[in-house]
Amino acid sequence: MSTNQKARVVIVDDEEMVITSVRAYLELETEFEIHGFTEPEQAVKHMESHLVDIAVSDYLMPRMSGIQFLARAKQIQPEASRVLLTGHADKQSAIQAINEVGLYQYVEKPWENAQLLLIIQNGIERSNLLRELREKVSELDTAHSSLKNVQKRLLQAFL
Amino acid sequence: MSQPDPAGAANELTSLRAKAEKLTAQLAEEHKMAELGRLLAGIVHEINSPIGSIVSNNQVIIRSLEMLKNALASGDRTALEKAGRQVETCLSLAAIDKIACERISEVVRGLKTFVRVDSADLRKADLNQQIASTLKLTHGQFKGRVEIETDFGELPPVECHASMLNQVFLNILVNAGQSIEGPGKITVRTRVEGGAVHISIADTGSGIKPDDRSKVFAGGFTTKPVGVGTGLGLSLSKRIVEETHGGSIDFESEVGVGTTFHIRIPVEQKKKAAG
Repeated sequence: MSTNQKARVVIVDDEEMVITSVRAYLELETEFEIHGFTEPEQAVKHMESHLVDIAVSDYLMPRMSGIQFLARAKQIQPEASRVLLTGHADKQSAIQAINEVGLYQYVEKPWENAQLLLIIQNGIERSNLLRELREKVSELDTAHSSLKNVQKRLLQAFL
Repeated sequence: MSQPDPAGAANELTSLRAKAEKLTAQLAEEHKMAELGRLLAGIVHEINSPIGSIVSNNQVIIRSLEMLKNALASGDRTALEKAGRQVETCLSLAAIDKIACERISEVVRGLKTFVRVDSADLRKADLNQQIASTLKLTHGQFKGRVEIETDFGELPPVECHASMLNQVFLNILVNAGQSIEGPGKITVRTRVEGGAVHISIADTGSGIKPDDRSKVFAGGFTTKPVGVGTGLGLSLSKRIVEETHGGSIDFESEVGVGTTFHIRIPVEQKKKAAG
């Protein structure tokens, strides 16, 4: 995990009380930068212009469900980890979420703070590793293509 | 060949009738339990968020108080400033706890009116209030999908078996919600009309097919999949409204547009002869 950059957490729940409680806990225990949204559309807008490490979303919300939101989040920032925090305790929605949006974790309400924190920390680490991996891959790609160029020039010089 | 026995046949008929009545009552009770089961799922969802908040806030408040205690003991200026800021957070969390507790209480109150033990008693009730608490119970099922609009007129207290009427409202509301695929709207309207209260519940659902309309109030008729509908709800509702309260229940429906149920309950109940 990069140490100089604060981890960025997005929390989406149509109930303000959930955001306030989770925020208060995370701000007390961590140095994370917390962005809370009661409107999933606002969270989507935020993610279009700001890098995010993890998005935690409620399931049942007016206008846009948690699964729809996380699907959008996946499109915008595929490396950001996605967590569904839901009181809607049915297996069907969990399975749907895991299959459709490549969910990182599924947490049931009422949530356990320590458990949620652990999941968020691991999720942040995961997204950082994914980003690092992508950087390394692109570095490798660049190195590879410049090597190829050198090889080509060498061949041209000799032939 | 045995001789016909009119007395024996009459006895048999009476006992058969008693059996049928007992079975009908049993079915009605089973239907109520099935509805309650479905409701409970919604209620669990309704109170999970406030409970999660309260538990989390409690932890934060305890941690903050410990911080404050240590800061006060040490007298360290930065620690005191930090603790002071944390006190502000705690105040807002305490305010949230209050809202969360009210939310839970509201749901529990709604549940209580639904399963009142003294349901057999006739009493004066505010039907707007009854409908409002029934709506609270269905909130979890509809949330995020179905918008509820209420248009409550001023109503006189209505002499009724309130918990039985709540079952009727619940039934029609749940049906309305289930008839809506995807997003939609349910409008509940109450008005006084002469000596009766008129409650209309309109949905923007799939509507009732013309062929099915005559069967809607028949016991055992359902278009819902197994496990979703018992096919008893509306026949039971009709009995509660018409036989128990001397009111009326009917509906208008258009396929693809929606259905509106009209329930009329007299404000005063006729004194029963046995009284």
